[in-house]
Amino acid sequence: MHLDPFELHRPTTVEEAVGLAHDLAGRTDFVAGGTDLLPNYKMHLNVRPHLIALEDIPELRGRSLARIGAMERLADIESDAALARVYPGLADAVGEVATPLVRSSGTVGGNLLVETRCFFFNQSLFWRSSLGYCLKADGDKCHVVPQKERCYATFSGDVAPVLLVLDAEVEVAGPSGRRRIPLAALYDATGDGIRRLTLAPGELLVAVHLPEGARGRRARYKKLRVRPSYDFPELGVAVAGRWDAGRVASMHLAVGGVETYPRRFDELTAPLEGCALSDTAVRGLAEAVMRKLRPVHNTFLLPDYRRRMVEVYVRRAIAEAREGAAE
Amino acid sequence: MPSRDALSFRLNGHPVELACEPARVLLDLLREDLRLTGTKRGCDLGTCGCCAVLVDGRPTLSCLTLARLVEGRAVDTIEGITPAQGLSPVQRAFVEHGATQCGFCTPGFIVTATALLRANPSPSRAEIERAISGNLCRCTGYAKIIEAIRAAAGAD
Amino acid sequence: MASAPPPPYRLLGGRIPYVDGPLKVTGRAEYTDDIQRPGMLVGRVLRSPWPHARLRSIDVREARAVPGVHAVLTGERYPTPFGVLPITHDETAIAVDKARYIGDIIAAVAARDERTAEEALARVRCEIDSLPEHADPRMGVSGVSEPIQKRSLPGTNIQKEVVQHFGDVDEAFRAARYTARVRGTFAGVTHAFTEPLVTIAEATPDGRLTVWSATQVPHYLHRALSEVLGIPLHRIRVIKPEVGGGFGGKSDPLPHEIACAALAIETGRPVKILFDREDVFYTNHGRHPTQNDVRVAADAEGNLLAYDIEALIDGGAWSSFGTVTTYYNGVLAMGPYRIPNFRYRGRRVYTNKPPSGAMRAHGGTNIRHSVEVALDELAEAMGRDPFDLRAQNALAPGSTTVNEFRITSTSFLDCLNAVRSASGWREKFRALPYGRGVGLGCGFYISGSNSPIHFTPKMPQSTVHLKVDMDGGIAVHSMQADIGQGSNTLLAAIVAEVLGVDLERVHVQRVDSDVSPVDLGSYSSRVTFMMGNAARAAAEELKGKLLAAAAAIRERPVSDISVGHERFEVAGAPDLAVPFLDALHKAMETTGALTASGSYQTQPRGGSFKGAKAGTAPAYSFAAYVAEVEVDVETGVYRVETIWAGFDCGRPLNRLAVEGQIEGSIHMGLGQVMGESMSYRGTRLLNPSLLEYKIPMPQQMPRIEIHLVGADDPDGPFGAKEAGEGPLIATLPAVGNALYDAIGVRFTELPITPDRVLRGIDRRRSEGRAWKGQ
Repeated sequence: MHLDPFELHRPTTVEEAVGLAHDLAGRTDFVAGGTDLLPNYKMHLNVRPHLIALEDIPELRGRSLARIGAMERLADIESDAALARVYPGLADAVGEVATPLVRSSGTVGGNLLVETRCFFFNQSLFWRSSLGYCLKADGDKCHVVPQKERCYATFSGDVAPVLLVLDAEVEVAGPSGRRRIPLAALYDATGDGIRRLTLAPGELLVAVHLPEGARGRRARYKKLRVRPSYDFPELGVAVAGRWDAGRVASMHLAVGGVETYPRRFDELTAPLEGCALSDTAVRGLAEAVMRKLRPVHNTFLLPDYRRRMVEVYVRRAIAEAREGAAE
Repeated sequence: MPSRDALSFRLNGHPVELACEPARVLLDLLREDLRLTGTKRGCDLGTCGCCAVLVDGRPTLSCLTLARLVEGRAVDTIEGITPAQGLSPVQRAFVEHGATQCGFCTPGFIVTATALLRANPSPSRAEIERAISGNLCRCTGYAKIIEAIRAAAGAD
Repeated sequence: MASAPPPPYRLLGGRIPYVDGPLKVTGRAEYTDDIQRPGMLVGRVLRSPWPHARLRSIDVREARAVPGVHAVLTGERYPTPFGVLPITHDETAIAVDKARYIGDIIAAVAARDERTAEEALARVRCEIDSLPEHADPRMGVSGVSEPIQKRSLPGTNIQKEVVQHFGDVDEAFRAARYTARVRGTFAGVTHAFTEPLVTIAEATPDGRLTVWSATQVPHYLHRALSEVLGIPLHRIRVIKPEVGGGFGGKSDPLPHEIACAALAIETGRPVKILFDREDVFYTNHGRHPTQNDVRVAADAEGNLLAYDIEALIDGGAWSSFGTVTTYYNGVLAMGPYRIPNFRYRGRRVYTNKPPSGAMRAHGGTNIRHSVEVALDELAEAMGRDPFDLRAQNALAPGSTTVNEFRITSTSFLDCLNAVRSASGWREKFRALPYGRGVGLGCGFYISGSNSPIHFTPKMPQSTVHLKVDMDGGIAVHSMQADIGQGSNTLLAAIVAEVLGVDLERVHVQRVDSDVSPVDLGSYSSRVTFMMGNAARAAAEELKGKLLAAAAAIRERPVSDISVGHERFEVAGAPDLAVPFLDALHKAMETTGALTASGSYQTQPRGGSFKGAKAGTAPAYSFAAYVAEVEVDVETGVYRVETIWAGFDCGRPLNRLAVEGQIEGSIHMGLGQVMGESMSYRGTRLLNPSLLEYKIPMPQQMPRIEIHLVGADDPDGPFGAKEAGEGPLIATLPAVGNALYDAIGVRFTELPITPDRVLRGIDRRRSEGRAWKGQ
């Protein structure tokens, strides 16, 4: 397989990278670990004539309990004992991404921004040509839900749900400066599989910030997939909770792998604060989450099954988070 | 035409310098330009693990690594991992335990196993399974590969 | 049944590390893609984006004009049809009149590099008429106005129909006390070898063509190249470098191999076609998507009375091995039990999908799952233990089946006994808690085909040549193909065993049709048995010469001389032993380098009815497996925790390789059970990638406990039978039946994915059937 020719840019500062991206707007992609971008490029998916490599920008590196640079490799986060001790859910999730070889190059920023996926998108040029292409690349119709308006490609990152329940923030650099936004605000809840991020053209993800308050939360991540390695999530559920004398002090829940963006369910978890969480209440919450999600048939497992698993995985994630908290 | 700037890095302990266009992955550079064919092309999309090499000691998918980004780094391929005479303990264990069948995935497994044992000299069975779960083998059912890595861990 | 104590062999029967291991662990083993030829061009193929289309015109002028393009070929240049079976030639190197599936090759290009080749292909202009597409074989059995291939039964897409009836099945079912029925549905699965398909061809000014290819059967490729290109066999040289796995997927001569040669002839330059992984999926030739309907009958005492089997087999666009497949889906139900009455109707139907073909345990896998599940049901209906039912009906050594298979050796009962006790069956069966279960699955398989695909059937199936010169190294030539199964190691070990020399003296040469004697290659589990016998015969001939030379040196009768280790012993005179090299040099005094040749041809087998040869073999392997599973009844996710594998391969000659074959077979069988599937939407393959084609991971592998219980086979080399394919078969029903024991649900559709497990539990509950109190 070959890559179409491109110019490779190697900025050494965030500002330089952002400046390049601004100048090349619409004609460039950032490349971090390359494990998501390059397969897509080899399949000639939305290829751009310029790539901006983030490899040489020191500011994108470094990790502490408070900040993880966007270019930090997943494998390094996974093996960071200090991070794992304080954020066990993050270690769970990072360790579930793809394969060890992918995690060796793949970055946390890359996983947060991972391209949405679909059986009808993640295919070669030949494959897509035989079908007449799709909304997300080169075409004007969707083959999952036949219509011409909305793309149903699925958000398939594993790290985002956990960072969402930890109230992480992301630092974004753009032509007009820096901003720090809640991670949830990175994703466009009103968009679709194409318009999935709120980043402006040329904006760059610099780092993930973990607030002080995240440290006491025991998060867990449960991932549904066919095999214990390789597979993207068919469903990913993250839960973080704090308990106080058997009552919920706080609880957050987020789901990935089902819709076009990773989604938090504060409206369902907030009312539980102060409650003793009975099995019935957990089941009620799990069913309520399930009712809000509508998987479509664009991954390996059938949508009915994935939906049904939402309920099971929410329950299990809560149980594990609770156990973790009791430790 | 894209520029074909000189690329220099350390390959198997020795400096190399050669022209390389930007849209070229390390796997192509190794196999086609440098004729180091021990690194295998199984899927070209980062799935099979046959193309694994070490970049600054990290096991890395050479099919998803832009060659230009190894500028100034140390790349070790299966050829570099192999001692000038004889076999490394991991290689010897693979031979003795019958962990090769068709052999096409083997260099990738040797690279992964070598990196694993450098980082963790006595891994548990579960740690081995996890470490090799980005390398596909269609012949062995992984049984003899795991056996060989366990044996190599004992021998190292 | 106790077997005689095994005679001691110096090497055979031990654990012999693969002779090519050091090359493979260092990356020094040379595969086809590792070969570079001077001035080599890149060949690429253009694939049909249409499932079924008449090709009105293909305009390649613009493509040819792209700078750096050396040739663009379309189908009419070499239109001669070919195929692995001489009777069903329906493939062409490049599509001639029609494109028959999404992925069918419609043009080929040779260019200076991949980008140029791709650019040229993008400029090929096709005019086509779309034709009705056929995705479902059920729609192909009648009323077809535009058949996919010309040679199907009139008005249908049926490529092959087999009807067989032995005894009186209807009467047997009338007389039966117990019956069971299973309707099975099986998704297609594919080989997914790690080395992609790749071929290099080079036509030289001396009028010869050399082809290097990742093939399991160099001889069939040799034949097909000659037929299609119109070049005599002796002017074509086929070389088989190391092959990165085959499993049947490299056993047909394949269109790209011929197209590559055609491009080399056209351009006068070496050409390499290296397939992308997606191309490999389109080439397929994997296990057929199948629907079968199996009825079994038994009398009140538990004696099996009859099988009544139907199979509808999705062939894809071409015949490939399909005629054999159609027979095998019936006749490979004939063991390991006595079946006095047997009826089978099998139909293989063309569809507009990538061709199906031969895959490990070809033809015996899907039918076996349905049969073994039916037997499990039958045992339950009788209130019998599944082991007892099977043991009672086991074929005896020396017996003949109703369709005239001759069973020479069988240690099937020993397989059953070994795994019954090792697995703790008596304590576990129906006694483990809900969600946990054990299951039994059995099988048998041919150890080589008695009636192989042969163009000159009076010639041997296997021939081995040996050459020893004064260096004392023994060069072995054979056209068997080591594709990872370790046949080179076995070949070397047999020669070394017979001659009493160290293994390092023996060098198995790369397969090269210029120097290797014809052998039918690596398929149908024939290599150990046939090549093994041929190697033994060749080594015996050489041994005769060396014994005579040693006798001459010591001036003793030959009957006093015997083979020792690296020397020849003289009876009663240990001090007079003759070193190997001394005997060799003596033997060379009159002839120069010594050569020897051995061959193997099967004895006639089988009846005289139509199709009687299908499934006949000089010997059969037998298997009984127990699987233990744990099901998460809330998610349907399950784990196969242990497989106890009882296997009869006669005498295992290289235990390391036999174990490797069993472990690898179990892995591949589990893949078909747990998630592997060629998934289609209509005629469109949805998952042509190793990411979406779900080969199991190390963490999914069970603990495997192997019990090799075979007695020596009378005709096998040193008593051996096959171990490369039979070990796969029993995996599927062992797991299927274990799932039943765990959760009370019969699974007849593969793969058994978690969603299907949950649906099964739902269905059982909705039917009000409790299982283990749940």
